[in-house]
Amino acid sequence: MKNCIEVKNLVKEYKTVRAIDDLTFEVHEGEILGLLGPNGSGKSTTINCILSLLNFSKGSIKIFGKKMDVNAYEIKRNIGVVFQDVSVFEELNVIDNIDYFCGLYIKDKKLRKTYIEDAIALVGLENYKKFYPKQLSGGLLRRLNIACGIAHKPKLIFLDEPTVAVDPQSRNNILDGIEKLREEGATIVYTTHYMEEVEILCDRVIILDKGKIIASGTCDALKTLANIEEKVTVEVLDLPPKVLEKIKEFKNVEEVSYLDNILFITYKKGKNNLSELMEFLKEKRVNYNKIFSERPTLNDVFLELTGKELRD
Amino acid sequence: MFFHNFKYTLKTLFKSKALIFWTFAFPLILGTFFSMAFSNIEESEKLDIISIAIVNNEDFQENVAFVEAFKTLSKEGEEQLFATQYVTEEEAASLLNKKEISGYLLLEKTPKIVVNTSGIYETILKEVVEEIEENSKVISSIASYETAKHVTEQATNEEIQNIRNTIIEKVLKIQQINKTNMQDISNANLSYTMIEFYTLIAMTCLYGGILGMVAVNQNMPNMSSNGKRISISPLSKGKLILSSVLASYIVQLIGLLLLFLYTLFVLKVDYGNQFSFIVLLSLVGSFAGLSLGIFIASILKASENTKTGIMISVTMLGCFLSGMMGITMKYIIDKNIPLLNKLNPANMITDGFYSLYYYSTHERFYFNIISLLVFSFILIFFSTLSLRRQKYDSI
Amino acid sequence: MIVFKTFLKVLNKCKAPIILYTIILVFFAGFNTKTSEQGNEFTASKPDIVIVCEDKVEGITKNLVEYLSKNSNIKEIENNEEKRNDALFYRDVNYIVYIPKNFRSDFLEHQNPQIAIKSTGDYQASLANMLLERYLNVANTYLEFDFTEEEMIDKLQETLETKVSVEMTSKLDTDSLYKVSTYYNFTNYCILAGSIYVICLILSSFKNEKVLKRTIISSLNYQKYNRILLASNSLFAFVLWFFYILLSFVLFGSVMWSLHGAFYILNSFVFSLFALTLAFFLGNIIKNKNALNGIINVIALGSSFLCGAFVPMEWLPNTVLNLAHILPSYYFIKSNELIKTIEVFDFASLKSIYLNMIIIVIFAIGFMILSSIFTSKKRKLA
Repeated sequence: MKNCIEVKNLVKEYKTVRAIDDLTFEVHEGEILGLLGPNGSGKSTTINCILSLLNFSKGSIKIFGKKMDVNAYEIKRNIGVVFQDVSVFEELNVIDNIDYFCGLYIKDKKLRKTYIEDAIALVGLENYKKFYPKQLSGGLLRRLNIACGIAHKPKLIFLDEPTVAVDPQSRNNILDGIEKLREEGATIVYTTHYMEEVEILCDRVIILDKGKIIASGTCDALKTLANIEEKVTVEVLDLPPKVLEKIKEFKNVEEVSYLDNILFITYKKGKNNLSELMEFLKEKRVNYNKIFSERPTLNDVFLELTGKELRD
Repeated sequence: MFFHNFKYTLKTLFKSKALIFWTFAFPLILGTFFSMAFSNIEESEKLDIISIAIVNNEDFQENVAFVEAFKTLSKEGEEQLFATQYVTEEEAASLLNKKEISGYLLLEKTPKIVVNTSGIYETILKEVVEEIEENSKVISSIASYETAKHVTEQATNEEIQNIRNTIIEKVLKIQQINKTNMQDISNANLSYTMIEFYTLIAMTCLYGGILGMVAVNQNMPNMSSNGKRISISPLSKGKLILSSVLASYIVQLIGLLLLFLYTLFVLKVDYGNQFSFIVLLSLVGSFAGLSLGIFIASILKASENTKTGIMISVTMLGCFLSGMMGITMKYIIDKNIPLLNKLNPANMITDGFYSLYYYSTHERFYFNIISLLVFSFILIFFSTLSLRRQKYDSI
Repeated sequence: MIVFKTFLKVLNKCKAPIILYTIILVFFAGFNTKTSEQGNEFTASKPDIVIVCEDKVEGITKNLVEYLSKNSNIKEIENNEEKRNDALFYRDVNYIVYIPKNFRSDFLEHQNPQIAIKSTGDYQASLANMLLERYLNVANTYLEFDFTEEEMIDKLQETLETKVSVEMTSKLDTDSLYKVSTYYNFTNYCILAGSIYVICLILSSFKNEKVLKRTIISSLNYQKYNRILLASNSLFAFVLWFFYILLSFVLFGSVMWSLHGAFYILNSFVFSLFALTLAFFLGNIIKNKNALNGIINVIALGSSFLCGAFVPMEWLPNTVLNLAHILPSYYFIKSNELIKTIEVFDFASLKSIYLNMIIIVIFAIGFMILSSIFTSKKRKLA
């Protein structure tokens, strides 16, 4: 697999803070890479360094196999970025905004026109073409922000928290759009602190904390790091203490708690844990309303690795 | 690409309401205020017909010189100096008290003038009365001198009187001919309130720099998120900034043109009649404003609001020093701290218009133009140095 | 209390323009000092002139120069035609007299040499012209008779010495009062712009949609909240007014310790009340902070220019003055101008001043009513 981006030993220091601390990673062609981390972990700074917007103290960055630089226009031509802040002109309407930013890349007017239509369709703004940014709701504005970043059909796309503060409907729309972009062959670097999005979208994930990579790999691979296999929740109205003690003695159980009629069990590993539990409860004639099992999330991984929650 | 960015910069600038208000509408409004407030000043500084009263007593009626003089001076027409009422002393005092007259003349053997306060009209009344008095002195002094020359000791009183009379006639004749040979060589254009409008033009030129500032900011990744987006595009920053700046210059010139048309045709401001020079000065003046805007945009690390604030303060200070809040200010600075005003672009623009309006030669005008160009190029030079940097330590 | 504290914090952020207005005010007041020393004696006005003498200053030429110097102020201008032209244009001098070469000999030889002049055409220049003409007339008259130059100069001096007695009735210190009036007229701009700027900025912070929503749903009584805001703003307006009063005492001293001074103070107080209510009204209707600056400038500059705060009222065209009647500033400035001329403080002379104050108060009440209508409506909409 070819590497789309290669970052080697990247260090970025502000006066007193080390925002990025010796970062090395690659982005493969055609993948969606998730950059996951809490606020202030260095995600945006990393992207700004890759884009040559920021000076960095040490390290090297290559894109498409060439050294990235402010004047590397051939590289820039194939990059699209959706920044965290909505960056559009208040004075221009939807079409004009997209046309302006697309026009920085695509000279041919006809081609641009079809590209703009594609972008509008991708983010679902067909009914808002003549609207000004002020008239758009938060979710629609985010969609416009994305359209402006990707209208020129770049090969490499950076999406910096494109779904912050967006309603679920718009979020789904945006995520669908990103999926489509990948289908069209783009490589995507996606930063977020919503791990659910990462789990749905990303082929590979890099987890950042305090400017360092604390873990990387596919979602499934990462989850093995969490040291737990399964979480089971049971709603029981009346659980005899004896039964609870018994459950604690199950072989794969890591932790058991019973609070407010909710029984919560974490399993280290093993299969058939759920059916085993159900049978046991039946045997002891304990009635329960609901029972469900969950796989560990990236949040659990993060919790395991850093001892703190991903979202603060 | 150049044109694409140019077109959209035009569009964004024209649609920005606050910018358009300050660079287009505000000068027009201010100009209207100026015109309303100043249109009458120079007219009211001209000598008006002065209302006076004369106490119409016997002493006055018998003094032919006074009666005749005031009759002539109060006659309606171009030469009229006084509007005279002939009244009793009480009436005169009451008129004076009500401030309906500037003063009154009371003739009792010697003339006396009664006024309310010291002032120019009062002084003129005094001057006139003194002149009439002095005339009789002149006559008597000449008469005695001449009589002494022509009259022998044997002459009879009648002869003396005759000689005196012929002399008086002669004097009066001489005075009537009034051959004082004076020629007014003042420049024709003396209307100083024009300076107000020139400072207004200067203000508009410099305010226009805000447009340039905004246009540059749009391309700076450390100033706006749009700037980030633009600077990751495959276009050279120099070209982009150049086309943005050019667009803002065009917008600025359109604003200036509007102001010119408005002041010229609605407010009747007089710019002299050297059209091409006026155009040259406007182009150069706007350019100075533009470079100031670019300079502030590129050198300072501050929010756009702060930059706008600085731009407005610099402009207003410049206009203040070049006479916008009082024309005397410009003169005082020109006279005492000339260097300050030679560094002040607002004054160079104002002074350029002034020299076109007032002077017939062009040395001063060219000096202003060159000074503005030097100012602009120095600022542009430093701006370019700063803009060449393309990466930032923090954004 | 918490509302008031927040008020002070916001206020602290907008002190810069207040300082700026004040600096301009002091500057303006300071620059408008007329140079003539006014006492109880009549003093003749003297035009500012420049004499450019290319002849040798001897004999009749010397006499002419001496005569002009005595009756006018000779201005020191650099000996350079451009500097003189500038001085004339900016009214530093009113009149320039060019005495030509060989004036003395040509004059004595009955050649009637030409004297060139430059004039601003205003009344000062007319006075200068009268002086010069007067001299030349008398001199020409003597010339027609066969006086020697010396005799002629003697005679000229003798006749031109003629003085009439002038009695002055007014005992007012017009010069100081003129300055005070100018100062208070200018405060029209400072008080208006200052109040509107600060109060609108504060209100727009307090009344910005999100903050306002929070306030409305809070347990604080909304009417009470508005009252505290109004009280805080009133306090600000009062402090601003008091500051300008204090400044006038610093600048003019003794003149202010008089009935004249008291009326200037009263008049400006009434006007401050109006400025407060206007600002409160504007603050309640203007949401956009960007629009604020434009509106302040149009209102404050507009009413200052049209009503004579910058340019004396008597110099404004009648059409403008008629238009100005709809602006409260007109009545404020009119009163200042009236106070300047009052000699005896009786009801007759004060009547129109009281009337003007009443009109200003009516304006204030009007805006008060308008803003209460607006605030109650706004609350329902929110």
